[in-house]
Amino acid sequence: MWGRVVTAAAAAVALAAGAGWLGQAGEAAAQAGGGGGGGAATAGAKKVLQMAMRTDGPKSLDPAAGSTQYDNIACSLMYETLVTFKYNDPKTLEPLLLAEMPTFSADGRTVSFKLKPGVRFHDDACFPGGKGRVVTPDDVFYSIKRIADKRNGLKNWWLLDGVIEGLDAFKDAQNASLDAGKGFDYDAAVAGFKKISETEFTIRLNKPVYRFLYTLAQFQLSVVPREAVEKYGKDFGFKPVGTGPFVLDKWEPKQSLAVNRNPNYHPVLYPAREAWSREDRRRRMDRAAGQAVPLVDRMEFTMFVQDQPMWLEFNAGKLGYIEVPNDFFEQAFDKRTRSLQPALESKGITSHSDVLLDFIFTGFNMEDPVVGGLSPDRRALRQAIHLAVDQNEINEALYQGINVVYDGPIPVGLDGHPEGGKAPFSLTTPDLERAKRLLAEAGWPNGRNAQGEQLTLRYYTSNGLQQQQMSELYKRQIERLGVKLEPVLLDFSTLIENVNNKKAQMFGFAWGSDYPDGENNLALFYGPNESPGSNHYNYKNPAYDKLYEQILSMAPSPERTKIYEQMRDMVIQDTPYIGSMGRTRFYLMAPWILNCRPTERTWSWLKYLDVDESKRSK
Amino acid sequence: MYAYIFRKLLYNVPVYLGIILFVMVALRVNDPVMAYLGKSASPESIAAMRSEMGLDRPLISQYGTFLGRVVTLDFSERSWEQKRPVGDILGRAVWPSLAITVPALILSTLTAISIALLSAYWRGTLTDRTLMFAAVLGMSVSLLVYVVLGQYFGAYWLPEKLGIPDGSPLRFAISGYEPVVAEGLRPDNWLRYCLLPVIITVVLTIGYDTRFYRAVMVEECNRDYIVTARAKGASKPKIMFVHMLKNAMIPIITHVMITLPFLITGSIVMETYFRIPGMGQTLITAINSKDFPVIQAFTAVFAAIFILTNILTDVLYALVDPRVRLS
Repeated sequence: MWGRVVTAAAAAVALAAGAGWLGQAGEAAAQAGGGGGGGAATAGAKKVLQMAMRTDGPKSLDPAAGSTQYDNIACSLMYETLVTFKYNDPKTLEPLLLAEMPTFSADGRTVSFKLKPGVRFHDDACFPGGKGRVVTPDDVFYSIKRIADKRNGLKNWWLLDGVIEGLDAFKDAQNASLDAGKGFDYDAAVAGFKKISETEFTIRLNKPVYRFLYTLAQFQLSVVPREAVEKYGKDFGFKPVGTGPFVLDKWEPKQSLAVNRNPNYHPVLYPAREAWSREDRRRRMDRAAGQAVPLVDRMEFTMFVQDQPMWLEFNAGKLGYIEVPNDFFEQAFDKRTRSLQPALESKGITSHSDVLLDFIFTGFNMEDPVVGGLSPDRRALRQAIHLAVDQNEINEALYQGINVVYDGPIPVGLDGHPEGGKAPFSLTTPDLERAKRLLAEAGWPNGRNAQGEQLTLRYYTSNGLQQQQMSELYKRQIERLGVKLEPVLLDFSTLIENVNNKKAQMFGFAWGSDYPDGENNLALFYGPNESPGSNHYNYKNPAYDKLYEQILSMAPSPERTKIYEQMRDMVIQDTPYIGSMGRTRFYLMAPWILNCRPTERTWSWLKYLDVDESKRSK
Repeated sequence: MYAYIFRKLLYNVPVYLGIILFVMVALRVNDPVMAYLGKSASPESIAAMRSEMGLDRPLISQYGTFLGRVVTLDFSERSWEQKRPVGDILGRAVWPSLAITVPALILSTLTAISIALLSAYWRGTLTDRTLMFAAVLGMSVSLLVYVVLGQYFGAYWLPEKLGIPDGSPLRFAISGYEPVVAEGLRPDNWLRYCLLPVIITVVLTIGYDTRFYRAVMVEECNRDYIVTARAKGASKPKIMFVHMLKNAMIPIITHVMITLPFLITGSIVMETYFRIPGMGQTLITAINSKDFPVIQAFTAVFAAIFILTNILTDVLYALVDPRVRLS
């Protein structure tokens, strides 16, 4: 009997292995000609950098169709924008495809550009002879026009809506032509585009807006060649052709992405030594000063949906740097001191933290009949609720205490952010006594009105685990006032729908700045941006709106900062939201990765990374 | 038999149509457009996206279009998220899932039958009770625990402790997947990337299967033909492996056949933790991102396979058991 059992078991293992191999062989046959499997270093690759993406990765490699951070990461490897943020100072712009920073005319409406000469697109079959040609102003105009093409979903039209003279009319006319079956004519003129020479051009704006330069740094406005888009059509998202420091080698969606150095990359130098701060120089961030980038031959990205495999792969020495997941924070850092755990330090692993340009808040619908309005009693009601909420407790409970709590809507590090996070009029320190007094002033002493009815507030938020926990915390904190809070948990789409339709009385949201300027957050309170726009609070204050319109055309300056502060304080006083909190990201870097100071404000810094193979453990 | 098969197919047509309609309706309860457009969506971009997705058409029109594609086996509709044909996506995803589920099914079935036979052979003894206790214990542990601990200890802790270098055929990959034919024959890829998930799957399912098969065997033990065989002096092994096992095959076949359609779905948890680009990961990603074309195509394929498998099971009954007549 045992002999038969052993024989059967051996046969089973052989059969199972055979079945498995046949399964994989079948897959290889199915993928024949299409390219499959994970990335592996190409023959002759010298420096290979392995990185992680903490998600299932980019959805498209077409900048016009991109929107997520991961689309940004991927596109930043292969495409470039006219300007970008400096690696040594991510708040400041520098030219990338331009020879110098653009200049504004006296009226602030005409912006003059000069392209860097000799910048070429990647070699690709879409070009005659397969050789990438030089970038011209026509490519810039074409790339901008693609944002207006409804076949790209108009996903990123918000970047240029009402900005460039004639572009809105172009968009409407060409999309109507598309609907009529006559096609989208990219050669049709846009009044605001003017080509002066093969390297110089101007763009005329509808009104002077300084943030236009920040818009030009968004990856969605990367310059792409018309030949590639026309040749590859819908597959352009899989066959990127840009001017970036890397060219695509292989992309397995949701699995891996591998890029090789662009041999024809235009000269871009690592920031000079004097450009770095003393702290950065101490960390040897200036070691590659003056060298031409990219410094590695190949980058391989692995997508991780779950945190454990990413954490284990990093600890096994296979990834250059990772963002530390919340669940593994205490394995990486001492919770109290935030210092790196000795076990990691002994391996030569280093850490870095960066406060994100986050604005995490709970909004009030200012058109709500109970909590909305700018009358003194409504303002007092909102302030009372704000003072009952202990954001530090929420921070400790849900974010390991690593977030930053601050007054106002302007994130840490930007002009207008209050010093130390505390504005002159502050509501972030919970004060139950003051809250009760304000509640009484608002006509709800101990949470009840004159008729004895209890104040009941409905709090709309998404149904993720963290949001559920947040709503429980809110409920407990606010109910200390005698006010009842009813959480309404919804999926994200339905939540947005309710907020856009002005049905949500209170709502949990967050805003990540599109660019490092407080104006992006102050726009959230600009009256004309009311729902379904970004002013989800439907806050309308004419004095505030006037100040906002004034700052639009102002470049960074002490005068502008003073107005930012004034606007910030107005918003804090009127209290259309409870907040604010900004997340802090912690990163761990392997000993063999060089020049790494991660930031999420831009992703064009990946080309500055380097590896020291001698420091990789065998 | 052919008449029976034809009749069953006919009866299942409205079932199939109903499943697809139900899934399409359920998907459209929540609007997917905002998930794709994000926070800065304007009414115009929402309308444009809705038109591109075909969601501005009446449901009956969308249903009819989709059925037309199913009938003509046209899976060229592009995924909203990945912008690739859904047929391409599902076609690539099924093989990695099969590379794990098929070996796991074979191994777990044969192992569970063997253990169940032993347990039934020695039923009532300490051996039997120990095996059943272990089976129940194994069943009580969550899938997630098996996956998390299996990955940690099997692919990280043990190799690090033993000093097995990365790239060694003795070391399981923490995550990832590469096919066996990639720039030449690479059978070690299956051992490196798939064997640990297979082992975990076998350990996970063996408890359930063993208890079920043991119950089947014990029930067979009390049949008249077994009593007769004993009375005629047949040895216990002969009774177990020649007489009883053959007759216990019907419920075993049923159990295995019911599992067959689920081979292509893979394991969502296993595939996301081990980064296997299989159907489970594809499906959960599609659900999270509200990728209707992928979900609908998956439903159409899976429902068809499930119905066909059920019919096949009935046919196999008739082949295995001469007493069964299909009518």
